[in-house]
Amino acid sequence: MNANFEKIAAYIKQHCHADDFSLHIGHVESHETRFAQNRITQHLAGPTFSINLTVAFENRTGSASVTQDDPASLDKLIQTACDIASLNQPDPEFVPSEGPKELPQVQNCDPAAQELEPAKMVDIVQYMIDQAKAFDATVSGLTEKHYSQRMLITKNGFVGYDESTDFGHSMTLKKGTVETKVSYDSKGLARFDQAAEFNRLKEQAISLADKRDMDAAPIAVILRPYALQDLIWYMTWMMDRRMSDEGFTPFTGQMGKLFFGEKFSLYSTLDIPAIKAVPYRDGIASKNTTWIENGMIRNMPTNRYWAKANNLEPNHIFNMYLSGGDATEEQMMQMVPRGLILNQFWYIRSVDAKAGELTGMTRDGVLYFEDGKIRHAVNNFRFNEIPHLATRRILALGPSIPTACSAMLPSLLIDNFNFVDKTTF
Amino acid sequence: MRYLDLAIGKALDLGAEYADIRVQKTSDEVVFLRNLSLKNTSHNVIYGYGIRVFYQGAWGFAHNNVFSEKAVLATAEKAFEIAQLSAKVNKDKQLHLAPERSYIAKYQTPVKIDPFSVPLSEKVELMMETNRILLGYEGIKQAMFYIVSHKDEKLFASTLGTRLELNTQWIDPMVSATAVTDSDSQSRTFDEGGRSTGWEWVLELNLQEKARQIAQEALIKVKADVLGPETRRSLILDPNHLGLTMHESVGHPTELDRVLGWEADYAGISFATPEKLGNYRYGSEIVNFMGDNTLEEGLASLGFDDDGVPAQKWHIIKDGILKEYGSTRDTAMEIGLDYSRGCNRATYYYDQPINRIPNLYLMPGTKPLTPAELIADTEDGVYIQGRGSFSIDQHRLNFQFGGDYFWEIKNGKLHRPLKKVLYKSCNPEFWNSCDAICDERFWRPFGVINCGKGQPSQTARMTHGSAPARFRNIRVGGSQ
Repeated sequence: MNANFEKIAAYIKQHCHADDFSLHIGHVESHETRFAQNRITQHLAGPTFSINLTVAFENRTGSASVTQDDPASLDKLIQTACDIASLNQPDPEFVPSEGPKELPQVQNCDPAAQELEPAKMVDIVQYMIDQAKAFDATVSGLTEKHYSQRMLITKNGFVGYDESTDFGHSMTLKKGTVETKVSYDSKGLARFDQAAEFNRLKEQAISLADKRDMDAAPIAVILRPYALQDLIWYMTWMMDRRMSDEGFTPFTGQMGKLFFGEKFSLYSTLDIPAIKAVPYRDGIASKNTTWIENGMIRNMPTNRYWAKANNLEPNHIFNMYLSGGDATEEQMMQMVPRGLILNQFWYIRSVDAKAGELTGMTRDGVLYFEDGKIRHAVNNFRFNEIPHLATRRILALGPSIPTACSAMLPSLLIDNFNFVDKTTF
Repeated sequence: MRYLDLAIGKALDLGAEYADIRVQKTSDEVVFLRNLSLKNTSHNVIYGYGIRVFYQGAWGFAHNNVFSEKAVLATAEKAFEIAQLSAKVNKDKQLHLAPERSYIAKYQTPVKIDPFSVPLSEKVELMMETNRILLGYEGIKQAMFYIVSHKDEKLFASTLGTRLELNTQWIDPMVSATAVTDSDSQSRTFDEGGRSTGWEWVLELNLQEKARQIAQEALIKVKADVLGPETRRSLILDPNHLGLTMHESVGHPTELDRVLGWEADYAGISFATPEKLGNYRYGSEIVNFMGDNTLEEGLASLGFDDDGVPAQKWHIIKDGILKEYGSTRDTAMEIGLDYSRGCNRATYYYDQPINRIPNLYLMPGTKPLTPAELIADTEDGVYIQGRGSFSIDQHRLNFQFGGDYFWEIKNGKLHRPLKKVLYKSCNPEFWNSCDAICDERFWRPFGVINCGKGQPSQTARMTHGSAPARFRNIRVGGSQ
């Protein structure tokens, strides 16, 4: 436990006389080295710190936050939150803060990431730049590390504290007209191998060298795990239980029904050490949750008010694990006459919230395959697609791999992915 | 403040070629109401300082929230150490800063009624009453209203001798109504994207009347027809909608850091490369875009940027030709400019400033033309109001936009309301298809307060503006 957090918590407990309160404290030490076109363009370091206090007098609430922890700042914090609450109108959806909870034990810290020296981070950047120059290319990206501590206490007795580390390295290589990207994002350094990472980038770039023009049309796609990640994030944002129950999303009335493809299962899990799992959010303890099981909707994220109002259990998506299969990319290419392999999506946005339709572009390289073999690269495309309907067209899944601190996803072969336009590169 | 001199002196002692310190206190008051339930009523302060050191062609930036002599000196040392590390990498490819003079100045957003001085109870009562109006319409299932009041108090000092005191603020009210039927839900939103002004603007807006309008329009929209398959049609776009279109397809492509590839790994690069300056036909001859950080009530009208460069006004596109970029001291020299356009801005004290879009607007047409005349002159088209879905590729070429409210135009008349309209176009096709812009009587500003960019990610604000304009032969259709 951070001793300063405990000191702040003790002060708030002693001086805040509201009927109820929740105190969030967060501290992050960051170092971020940004490089572009083979040189460093930004380089940042320092702490960020925040104290947020939400108070309630009966069901009138107020909230305030500050970035200093001296007694005068804490007094001001309490006074501001209480003033807001006393001037506010009653909130019919007020829910008292959580009481004591048993929280899962998680391990989200990697000492190697926490102790990583700035000079070593710059060495990584220098290595990538040297490799790019030797390949007659330019490289741009970000190397970053963060060590975070956060705490939540409530007047009703909830106490939560957790620490985590995050090491990230992303880079985009440009050689002639080829642009492609790889990224690493994890709580630790264990899987990071700078030589392997650059080779992955280089191989990806080489595979894209022969690029030809292709028109947009529905076609089978192999979504590599990083491409799938973006799509799934946006889809899960639409899965809020209340919004669905109130009729705003495509999931209205679908709880417990087969709505996704039967090959599609999505979980949040505490049991995979490779991905992070925060122990709590908003006082809700994290626990293993099945969101979608073989296409059936089993749970949707439910906030504390909606859970209480409808006699449900509150829950939250604290990481994403999509159970994979054992199909290799080569096997997937054999399963359809022709198709595209996608590395990444870009600029995904909602088109129709009720239908669940999204739009977006491909990015960082698109490969065309036919008769089981990659033939050449093609231009980027725009899609307009409804993800839950796309899961009904899943033909095969690859093994799941960690794609981000809190995501572990497979590649998917999806038939008839709806491309509607192309761009000029 | 003594810390300014302390930081600058320390950086110079260590050997910095240039250094600055920005002490920044950011205050936000948020009131968010959904269906008569206050989801967020908060007052948030983010206060600290960032010290930026330039050494042998490289930056180091360190930030801190602890105010003491010891902490300021340690932060300056850290910034210098980081700059030294960066300089080793940049030894063959150094950055250079465009020349700039020193300024001692103050700037304050003109405000008649400070939103932070308006009692919370008054704000909440206005919002509650507006929510009740929305929910009074049968079929409206979701009524939302938020007001964000924002204030930045900055002190800036640099080794050039510049000393600035900049107090800027903005306010953004947003009202939204969502209608639900058995088969669909559709929203209609009043959102002008914020302005650098005071509470007087909220009083002028007559939000309760606006609420009645958007509730009625949401109910029309949810029952409206969907446009058939995509065909080429005329588009008439209102200033609110065009604000987002120009942001994505003109604002971002003309940020010089993107042009240089500095955003290649995340936000993307730009097709509008330097060899196109002065000769590239970006739009038709009636298309004129100004960068203008002196714009009254403009969200990027801050007096000076975070390089200590004063606000300016310049042509970005003139008579349809690409003329210039928005630039910073460290990007300008890369294309041989010996001046910056003052577009370096950071969000919070802990952000290193980056090249941002200035206030950017489309000049009104020079011949008298009303929106009614423009519609009357259009045989087959769609009139789009407000902002909806938006997506553009990372070179800023291909894009697809939706909107908030749509009318089909047939034979010069508004024929029927529509929903789920999308149009697809690309640069330079889109701006070259602009064949009419209404005159200055119909020019309106609209803000963007959440422009995301950078690694680590930052959000910036700027104002766009235009009069209603027509675009010919654009691919327009309904969503799936």
